[in-house]
Amino acid sequence: MEILVEGSDQKGAEDYALLFEHILLEMGLTNVLEKVMLLVRPEDPLFVVSVRMRRASGARPIYDVVQLDDKEGGVMLSVTDETYAPRVLALLWKTFGRDRVEQLTRYEIFVSGKDRTDLWDLKIDPEEELRAQVLDAIWKLVPEGLKIRHSFNSENVMTIANTEHGFQPDWLQKAEQLHHSMEAA
Amino acid sequence: MYQVLMFDGGVYKVGELYELIEDIGGFVIQKTQIQTQIIITFAIPEEDRPIIDRKTSELGGKIADVPLAGTEIVVVGPTLGRHHMPHPICDIAENLRRYGAITVVMGLARGRGKHTAQISAEEKAIIEEYDAAVFMVGNFRECVEKHKFKLWQDIQIPVVATCGPEFDALPACEALVCGIGRKVERMRRAEEIQKLEEVAQKVQHLIELKRRDTDEDPLFVHPAEIKDRLDEMQAIQDNLRPAPVVLHVNGVRAKLPYEDFADAVSGMEVYGRKLGEVTTITPSRMPGSILIRIKTRSQVEAEDAARTGGEPTAKG
Repeated sequence: MEILVEGSDQKGAEDYALLFEHILLEMGLTNVLEKVMLLVRPEDPLFVVSVRMRRASGARPIYDVVQLDDKEGGVMLSVTDETYAPRVLALLWKTFGRDRVEQLTRYEIFVSGKDRTDLWDLKIDPEEELRAQVLDAIWKLVPEGLKIRHSFNSENVMTIANTEHGFQPDWLQKAEQLHHSMEAA
Repeated sequence: MYQVLMFDGGVYKVGELYELIEDIGGFVIQKTQIQTQIIITFAIPEEDRPIIDRKTSELGGKIADVPLAGTEIVVVGPTLGRHHMPHPICDIAENLRRYGAITVVMGLARGRGKHTAQISAEEKAIIEEYDAAVFMVGNFRECVEKHKFKLWQDIQIPVVATCGPEFDALPACEALVCGIGRKVERMRRAEEIQKLEEVAQKVQHLIELKRRDTDEDPLFVHPAEIKDRLDEMQAIQDNLRPAPVVLHVNGVRAKLPYEDFADAVSGMEVYGRKLGEVTTITPSRMPGSILIRIKTRSQVEAEDAARTGGEPTAKG
């Protein structure tokens, strides 16, 4: 992972780069990001974080992490890979609604009114969760007083600009330029 | 001037040490006995240290300096949010505790940000109840030198400021330690531990100055003597709060509700005087606590003289 810093307070920006490295290390996200760019101008104040994510390993089909058995009135899922349990449950809730999905034990879930073929095409996509984790790491990094935020998102680049009172138009332009340069990188 | 020491040894003949401390005009601040081992924190006149060293080696114990014993220090961060807590604030507080201080960690309600960072009068009043304050601010030079120093500029107790960027000096603080700033993990590397030591040394220096200043016009009674009296109270013995009586350089904090116990505390006797006459007893800003500030001998003499209309006569 490459971290670049730019701004009027070089030492402060470098400290924040180191801080971000520690945060990512603590959260186990160092391999998720390919490149990070920090633009730090404390006198404005403007703090822009732009991250370019690596492509996450492909989505896993649901039958890779659970065992599916047709039962009377529905299908029984037995989670075989514990780390996926919360995501499987969230995916089932999202797809079939909470009324149909019942968690019987820690690793057993029953979906009523469905059979195995209905679940066969479901895939667990790690991308969304990773984005949420990276976003959390960014919230941890950004100085607490900079509450006004604006974000730019594209497929694998996230840029978040932060300030204290309000953005000047050229600050957002600068942040957008940074976002595009990260996309092109 | 008093020097605070910690004896670590066995209980055998420890009574002799108590007698010696009393004979040379010292006070026992705290005793912790674990089976046959005992740790005693006590204060003695500094010129009598060799006598105590001799007695300690005779008893087969060890003696250590705890220069911050008998003080209560507040460590203040811009907020108690995850951006500032727990690491640097807790590490500083923990290191000060190793030197014998009682420490309190405090976050300001609106301390974060640059233009929006502020401290309220209530927060200042709370901070001023302590013997010294350590303020911890962030990593941006411009932010610290133009804005953040305002957080401590009106504080009337000694302040040690800590921050990330290197400065020769910052306004309104008695001491400065640079190179700390924000952290997201424990300060456990050699250079970070060195910074913690630097903070502790600066605090020690300020406390020593404060003690020397107090010695210029000595207190009517030593805080440890008031602690001894308070420890006899049933309400203190039944108190479940940690350290129900905390020593300050020039007073004591008793963790009892003011409304219920102010009269009882005020009526206690010390050297033939009511405690209320030789101290100022006020409710603490910390709920359920009483703050006792000891008057100096000259202050008591002047008040006595004003009352009787004659020459000052009080004796401490």
